Order: sequence, then C-alpha cells, then structure tokens
Amino acid sequence: MAIEFSLTKKQLEMREAVHGLAKNVIRPHALAWDRAGGIPEDFLRNMARLATSMGSNAMTAGLGDEGNAPEGERKRGMGGNLFSVLASEELAWGDPALLLCLPGPGLGGPPVRASGTPEQKKRFFSVFDGMLDDDKPLRWGAYGLTEPGAGSDVAGIRTSCRKDGKHWVLNGRKCYITNGARASWTVIFATVDPALGRAGHRAFVVEKGTPGFSVGRIEDKMGLRASETAELVLEDCRVPEENLLGGEERYVSKEGFMTAMKTFDNTRPLVGAMACGIGRAAYDYACEFVKRNYVLSRPIPRYAAITERLARVGRGLEAARTLCWRAAWMADQGLPNAKEASMAKAMAGQAAIRACIEAIEICGAEGSIATEHQLLEKWFRDIKVYDIFEGTGQIQRIVISKRLISDLKSF
Amino acid sequence: MISFEPSEDQKLMVASVAEFVRTAIRPKIRDFERDRGLPEDVRKTAHELGLALAALPESVGGAGLGLTTAVLLEEELASGDPAAPFALGGPGPFGLAVVELGTEEQAKDALRPFTEAGAHGRFGAVAWGEPKPNPDRPGLSTTATKTADGWRLDGTKAYVLNADRAESFVVFAQVDRDAGWNGLGAFLVDARAPGLVVLDRVTTLGLDAVSFGGIELSGVTVPESARLLGGDDFTRALFRFFAKNALLVAARGVGLARAAFEITREYVDTRKAFGKPIGHFQAVAFTVADRAMDVDASRALVWRAAAAWDALARGEGDERSALLLTAEAVAFAHEAAMRCGDDGVQLHGGAGFMRDYPVEKLMRDAKQLGLCGMTAEHADQLAAAVTLGVPIDPGLVLPTPETQNVFV
Repeated sequence: MAIEFSLTKKQLEMREAVHGLAKNVIRPHALAWDRAGGIPEDFLRNMARLATSMGSNAMTAGLGDEGNAPEGERKRGMGGNLFSVLASEELAWGDPALLLCLPGPGLGGPPVRASGTPEQKKRFFSVFDGMLDDDKPLRWGAYGLTEPGAGSDVAGIRTSCRKDGKHWVLNGRKCYITNGARASWTVIFATVDPALGRAGHRAFVVEKGTPGFSVGRIEDKMGLRASETAELVLEDCRVPEENLLGGEERYVSKEGFMTAMKTFDNTRPLVGAMACGIGRAAYDYACEFVKRNYVLSRPIPRYAAITERLARVGRGLEAARTLCWRAAWMADQGLPNAKEASMAKAMAGQAAIRACIEAIEICGAEGSIATEHQLLEKWFRDIKVYDIFEGTGQIQRIVISKRLISDLKSF
Repeated sequence: MISFEPSEDQKLMVASVAEFVRTAIRPKIRDFERDRGLPEDVRKTAHELGLALAALPESVGGAGLGLTTAVLLEEELASGDPAAPFALGGPGPFGLAVVELGTEEQAKDALRPFTEAGAHGRFGAVAWGEPKPNPDRPGLSTTATKTADGWRLDGTKAYVLNADRAESFVVFAQVDRDAGWNGLGAFLVDARAPGLVVLDRVTTLGLDAVSFGGIELSGVTVPESARLLGGDDFTRALFRFFAKNALLVAARGVGLARAAFEITREYVDTRKAFGKPIGHFQAVAFTVADRAMDVDASRALVWRAAAAWDALARGEGDERSALLLTAEAVAFAHEAAMRCGDDGVQLHGGAGFMRDYPVEKLMRDAKQLGLCGMTAEHADQLAAAVTLGVPIDPGLVLPTPETQNVFV
C-alpha cells in the first residue's frame, strides 16, 4: 500500500463513459423531468441496461449494496464502494433525480442483504429478475424509517407492531419514502413497545398490495422533483411472520436496529458523492460563465472577488470529494468507517450547497433563470436536501462527536 | 489506484519522528519559544533522522523520498511544535529554490554543504519579499544589474526566514525593469559576500522559535554562474518553487491543526461544567466534530497535492493539476489551522488565554504560519487562474510586496 490517488484504467474508463452519458443523454432532459415530476419508464429501462453493461453497482444493485454483501460474497479489495462513489458523482452531475429513480431495490437493498435470511434475500431480490426485459414492468424497493414525528430521532419511531398468530399487525405512518408508491416492497421499521427504545424495534419487508398498506400523499418538493417521495400508511396491516427481516431470533439483542444503522456507513459516502456531483455541476457552470463573460474580454474590478469565491467553492468540493473517497475506500478495505462516512456526508452536503449558492451569485440575474441549458436554479433546489436526508448535517456531527468525546451517550 | 494507506517505510519513518517529537520537542516548546530557537542537540537529532533533506531529489544529494513522504514527516514534526520544521537546520526553502530554478549542477553545488558533517548547524534562505511595493513600476525594487562578468545586486529584502542564520541565499531581483513581474531573476548569494548586511531579526505574533528577518544588498556582485535561470521557463519554475514550498508549510499547518484539536479534545473530556464534561454539551461537541473534519480534510488535500507532484516526477499527470491541487490544499489547510487554533482557545475558555496551556501558542502560530510560503488569498487566485485556464500572472498569484508580503 502507498498513498495514491490516481484512478485505475477501469475506473477512468467507467468515469469517462458515465460522464458522457450524463452530459449527452441525461442532462438534456433534466429540466423536463423536473417539470413533469417523473422520468419515463423506457428511459429508466435504457439507463439501467446501460449501467448494467458498465458494471456500475451504484445504479443496478442498489445504493451501497456491494459493501453490504456478506463477508463470503464480498470480494475484498475489489473497490465496489469506491467504484460506486465515482459513478454516483458523475451521474448526479448529469441529474441527481435520475439516480434516485433507477429501478432496483434502492435503499431497501442494504438492510435486506445485511439482515435478511437466505430465504428472504432470495424471495425479495428475485422480484427484480429480468425486469429490464422489454415486456416486463420495472420494479423498485424502498426503505421506510422516517415518520411524521420521528426523523433524525430514529429510536423514537411510533409505528407499532404486534404479533397475532402467524402475522404481525402494523399501525402507523411513514413519510418521505423515496419510490415509496411504486415500490414492490418496502422495509418498514416498527416497534413492539416505544418504551423499550431500540430493543423494541422490528424491521419488516412489507409488500405492495398487503391489506391495510396504502399510499398516502405524494410530496410536492423544493427540488429532486423527478424523484417520487411518498407517504405510506399502515392501518391494521397484516404482514406474514416470514417477512420479519432476519427472523425472530435476530431481535433478541439490539443487533437488529444496529444493522439498520450500519447501512448508512456505506450509503453516506455515496450520498456525499452525489452532492459533490451536483455542486460540481454548478461550479463548472459558474467557471464557464466567468470565462465567457469576464476573462476573454475586459477584466473588471470585481474579477478578483469572483475568482476568490470560485476558488473557495472549488477547494471545498475537492476536500469533500476526497473525504468521500476515503470513506468508500475504508469500506472496501473492511475498515470501520462510521465517523469517516459521516464526515464525508457532512462536508459534501455543505460544500455542494455553498457551490450552488455561490454559482448563482456569481452569474447574477441569469443564474436564477431556468432554461434547458441553464440549470443552476434547479441544482440550487435539488441540493438542499443533501444536507438533510441520510442524516442531517447535525446528525452527522452527533455521529462524529460520539466517536471523539469519551462516554458521550446522548446530549 | 486510490489508497489512503502510507507504505510500511513511511509508517516507520513517521513513527520515529513521532518518538522524537514526544521526547525532544513537545515537552520543550515553551523553552524553544523563550530561547527563540531550537538547541543544537535537538537540531542534530533531527538531522540524523534525515528530516532536512527528505523532500530533495537524490540527484542533488537529497534523500529522494518524494513529497508524499515529506508531508507526512512535516505534519508529524509540526504536531509537536509548528515552529520546529522552520527552525531546524538545513536548506529549507533554499533547497527547493535551487532545485526548481537551478540546473542540476548548480543545485548539487549549492546543496553540498548541507549534506556534509555539521549540516545541522547550516541554514539556507530565500530572499523574496521587500518592505514596500515599488512606487514607480510593477516588479521588485531590488535590482540585478549586468556587469562585465556577472551581476550586481542592490536593494532591501524583507520577511526572510532564517536570514540571520543562513550561509547562503537565493535572492530574487528585477533583471528586466520593463517586464514587470515577468522580469525577475534569481541569484545564489553567499552570506559573507561584501555588501550584504543582515538586518535585525523581527519579533512576531507566533512561531517565536523561528527567525524572521531581512538582508540589505549594496553593490553585491555575483558571477554569471550564480544566476538561476529556471530551465526554459523561469516563471513556471518560480510557480513550482512557491507551490512546493507552500505545500510543505501547509503540511505543517495540518500538524498544527491536529495538535490544537487533540489538546482541545482532551480538555473537553476533563473540564466539567454544570455537572458534566463540557464535551457533553452539543455546542461544544459539534465544534469538536467540525474541527475534526478540518484536520482530516486538510490532510487529505495535502496528500493529494503531494501525490500529484510525485506522480509528475514519475511522468504521470500534468503540472497544472498539481498546481491546482496544491493551491487548494494550501488555502484550505491555512484556514483550517486557524479555525482549529481559534476554537481550541475558545473551548478552553479563559484558561485558553493563559500561557499555562499550549493552545494560545498554537492559535498565534496558526496565524503566523498562514503568512509563510503562500497565503490562502494567493493560493485561491492561483487555483482560480488554473481552473479558468487564463495565463497565470505572477503579479496576481504570487505573494508580492505589491499585493501581500509573505515569509519565504
């Protein structure tokens, strides 16, 4: 081993290919999708096929899936997380919503892979078999943790579950679920008794069409409008006992909950990388704007102030990107990376938001106008949630500080 | 390949520097500060560890370890005392300047004394800055005038690191008065040259153990062979010198940031208020988390820049991206170190303001260190120029008397 940052030939080829796709195929549609509130299925199918042919796990196997593969299946040193991080940045540079819309298990994949029994894994992942064939419908998985009354405070969820014969009966509401309405199944977190805290938590795979399981409102969002965000309602929803993720014995300890949290160690650098991609898109645009408007003609007194802003944004993104690489690299090496994953996510979210804000400022009035070739206002709307979902910037700082300060259990 | 793991050799070297820091540097930082220098035995040990020549290529008598190894060692050393890497004997910036600007022959000759016995007592220096901007034209006020067999140098140089200790200087002067910042020249000057007077050492905000001063040149003559031509492109070579020197300073900034962070982390664990350790208050814990991110991010950027230069030396990559990564690392590291010093004192409360604790020193050192090599402002201008693809204007991106003087 040595300290090194040159990409391998395979990584470079993949990155170039994904970038070409992002630039020529994805970005031209980005604004239209944003306005339509969705991406046509044919397009998604084609993208998913292309991604499969490129071997990009970020797009096909579900976010962070590679790193969550059981020990035996994971080929150490293959660099799956790093590969996904590199691909995600490029794709998000094209359009962040597309990545979230791609068919597959999505965020539901990691917990099933990490905690599911062999039978469950087979049953729930086989849903996606052959879905890219022409005559088959696309399929999605989803992850349902957040509730109206419990966002960052995951341990405070109130959705209840109680055993009734061969079934579990679930009651509650889940919100802000990506692909929640279209998902074939959703990993739903519930509690047998809120007083038990984490020990009371159970995770279920709830299939679409289960009696008592319905879609509430589809959210109307600031950005990422092409991505579906749904509310899911559970009213005396009877879930078969074989859908309790990992089986009953798994919940004797707190392990069940902890596994659910562990998936974040792999997904946070990915989400950070996506943020870097959006931030870079805005930064690239602002650089081109400055070149076009200032550098090639008469330098103006404001020039140095603008270059200073640009450089500050550039180095913020570079720092965040490098921390995302580090967290992904650690995951690939099998090293514990909870702190580093949170650092990557926290820095990337903020650096990218800063990039989008500054880019509009630098471009002036033009920066706020939406056209097919001018997406700054869209990126500005899209990026904000990157410091919120997958753990807000504040939650990341809790994760980080708990690993730095002795005996810090809670605030 | 992307890898964040130092090689076995690097780990061993870092471990031996860490041991040196633990035993010989950290317990003595207030002594160094009071004595305004490092004692001979410490400098000797550092020299035996090979710290002075790590970054210089083997072809000119250096250790040829590359910049990646060098930044690891610089960080480790600076984590003990940020003043130490500046105040230890050796060629310092002088070494980088002769390597980047001189021919291999010139570099080898100029560096020979630093590879011989007693080298721990030898210093080199670079005379770049000047007390005032030139009111009449862009460029340096110090002039180099052609003579029959060489050059005559006249002028006053300021903000020179180790000016009073140096045996040899690289002096920058205006060669072509009409060419502004593109009309500079660099010359090797012996400290004993007639007409060279060393000015008083100045007292500074921080890095007290480091000597900062200046020199005055009145009709100092040097032979033609003393001119460093910078290969076929002097200005480009000048950028490389500034970038690499600033990168090593940035690595020291990482060490400083880490030291301030670690001291503060321990303090918030032990200091109690309202019945619990202050680290258990969110406002304090989040600040600690933010500074941890600063330390890790600035280190990561410094590594990437150093690795880019090492790759370039192997014939991979390009100089512009190495310059860009360096500029980003330098600006980020300087600001991060300042934040770590500032918050370090802040979280210590009133105690932080007292000299009983080391953290006030680190805060002063952080500001001082940010004025060495290249400032964040100039690094940002360099990064922007590279990114925007405009011709890099030395008058804009280099820290000159006209814009913002730095200690070199």
